[in-house]
Amino acid sequence: MNNGNGNNGERFTGHGPEWRDSNLSPDDARTATAWVEQVINKRSMEVNKDRVEDVRDAMWELEKDGEIVVHRINDEHQPRIAKTIYGWDKKIPTNQLWHHKSCGQCGNIPGYPASLLWLMNEMDIRYLDETDQTSCTAWNYHGSGIGNIESLAAVFLRNFHQAYVSSRAQGLPDGYFYPLVHCGTSFGNYKEVRAYLLHSAKLRESVKKILGKLGRLVDGKLLIPEEIVHYSEWVHMMRGDIAERQTIDVSNIRATIHPACHVYKMVPQDAIYDDNILGGNRVAVSTGIMESLGTQVIDYSTWYDCCGFGFRHIISEREFTRSFALDRKIKVAVEEANADVMIGHDTGCITTLDKNQWIGKAAGKDYNLPVLADVQFAALACGAHPYKIVQSHWHATATETLMEKMGIDWQARKAEFEAYLVEVEAGNYDSLYDPRLAITSGPGFQPIKQLEKTEQS
Amino acid sequence: MEHAHSTRIQEFIGDPVSDSPAIGREEMEEIFQDIQADIRFDHELNGCLNCGICTATCPAAHYYDFSPREIVQLLWTENLEGIYDAMQEKIWACAQCYTCAARCPFNNSPGGLIMLMREAAIKHGMESAKNVLRPFSRVMLKLISTGNQLSPDMINADGFPDWGPNISKINAPLDILRKAIPMPTLNTTATAWEVNLTTSVELYTIWEETGVLDQLETIDENLYDVILDIMDEKREDLADWEDEQA
Repeated sequence: MNNGNGNNGERFTGHGPEWRDSNLSPDDARTATAWVEQVINKRSMEVNKDRVEDVRDAMWELEKDGEIVVHRINDEHQPRIAKTIYGWDKKIPTNQLWHHKSCGQCGNIPGYPASLLWLMNEMDIRYLDETDQTSCTAWNYHGSGIGNIESLAAVFLRNFHQAYVSSRAQGLPDGYFYPLVHCGTSFGNYKEVRAYLLHSAKLRESVKKILGKLGRLVDGKLLIPEEIVHYSEWVHMMRGDIAERQTIDVSNIRATIHPACHVYKMVPQDAIYDDNILGGNRVAVSTGIMESLGTQVIDYSTWYDCCGFGFRHIISEREFTRSFALDRKIKVAVEEANADVMIGHDTGCITTLDKNQWIGKAAGKDYNLPVLADVQFAALACGAHPYKIVQSHWHATATETLMEKMGIDWQARKAEFEAYLVEVEAGNYDSLYDPRLAITSGPGFQPIKQLEKTEQS
Repeated sequence: MEHAHSTRIQEFIGDPVSDSPAIGREEMEEIFQDIQADIRFDHELNGCLNCGICTATCPAAHYYDFSPREIVQLLWTENLEGIYDAMQEKIWACAQCYTCAARCPFNNSPGGLIMLMREAAIKHGMESAKNVLRPFSRVMLKLISTGNQLSPDMINADGFPDWGPNISKINAPLDILRKAIPMPTLNTTATAWEVNLTTSVELYTIWEETGVLDQLETIDENLYDVILDIMDEKREDLADWEDEQA
């Protein structure tokens, strides 16, 4: 339905009784919208604020005062420096990484973390993937309200303390592994929680008691990470190294990027921007790797919209989730950008945008646009097995059409994988790393000496 | 309460066409005090000129009778009746994307403020919270008892018929498909990854010490009982293992 104001019947609600429609003519509405879009499409929209602080200043002060210990990113982590939205430096460790897994990725899109680990193996990056980790619990919190700032902070500090001491199981010094957070919501939540911990002595005092009970203090102090690092930032800083390993030409692929809200809208001052990537007007991660691989990254008008995940909505109010995902993201990417793929960098977005397309057929919206994480696409371009590593069979959308366009014989690879499943059933299955490393304490732990890098991979 | 005394005063708030009892001002004040007492409140509410940029960019405002601007205004003006009213339904519409927070010229976080209101709705055992969270109980059971929010066996065609007929395009038993993921921690079906028993038990301490179990008891007593049983069982398993090591 078109109500004459050029917005196809769409209208906002909840403004209260004083709200009156502006009744603009279609031409005037288009002019007004174009003006707004020009403004909101600029990075300046995000940075025209007062009172933006770099919370790391407070962190160093607290460390100087002897209140906290900072888990530093040292030379051994081979850091690379990125620029955040305000031009601040952010240190991204590129080696000796502790994988902070994502429950949604591991449960539902397992090719997401597997592709990341596979790329790390290709580049001889040392890492640890272990069982002593919980979810960040923030998906549940944002969906339900069960939880609070103390529980979120305690979970954050427990997991990051474990990252710090996990190397002991291999006879390596504390701090050897640095946490790399896979999930965008974990990333955003941890950054927010870290800021509150650094600002509130009361919060520090209350969680210190809990962490003390758990034996999770360092010299009697809370351990705070120097940086909170998302895997997409690692991919971004390694994009040149990844592109060097590329075996498939992807220059014919038109890619749209869905930037994840919790990656760059939560604590936005920490998000990475690069003047050479879409003019510095979009968060740089994902676009950077897709450009380095040589794809055509196509901008689209609803790039700023969320995916519709909603945390609780995807479970129990799915009509909102699927409508938003289809109408505000997928439809636009297909009709406006003529995309071959939508690339994301977060758990909930990939799930939402991928899984909610099938039902669109019921409403004549059969888009079937492949949806992958940046790291899955990168692994494919570097020759990873589309089923064994990228695990594309868990994706509901037509990853097969994308693979065909990339020149991958997916039918042959699928047949290989099905043959492999027979081996798996017989108890013979492969691992990207030595499985003994996955248990670092408690039941099932077997002390082993430090393994050489070659043994790990 | 300093702030609340300056607001418009109405002794009771109630729905004239409903049999629900009117709510006393004292309870509304208590709810607002709980929201205000959170350390995040003063960081997330800094002022509001009603510019509406938050609502213009809000995904939930497309589909629900919901406006983050309205929520911020209610809290900024300490409109206790309006706050209570918004907690009956509107606060549950928010998709928690934080687009509003990224865009607000005042650095308000309407999405963050809504979380404080949701926590307060749970603390006060509001029916709205109980109703909205009922279909979410399976997720809460999984998270609180295992430390994982989502597990492969939760995702099946019966639970998600709108996701299509096949959760995996390759037809094989779930446990075989999971073993074919080349990460040993992911060769699981009942949790997203294998969580060490000691890890789960550490998490139980966090739940107890931070009042999360109390929240759960308020909102769903049966779920609370089930979770306590699981926690006891896992703690016993760990104690047995520790005895074996001694």
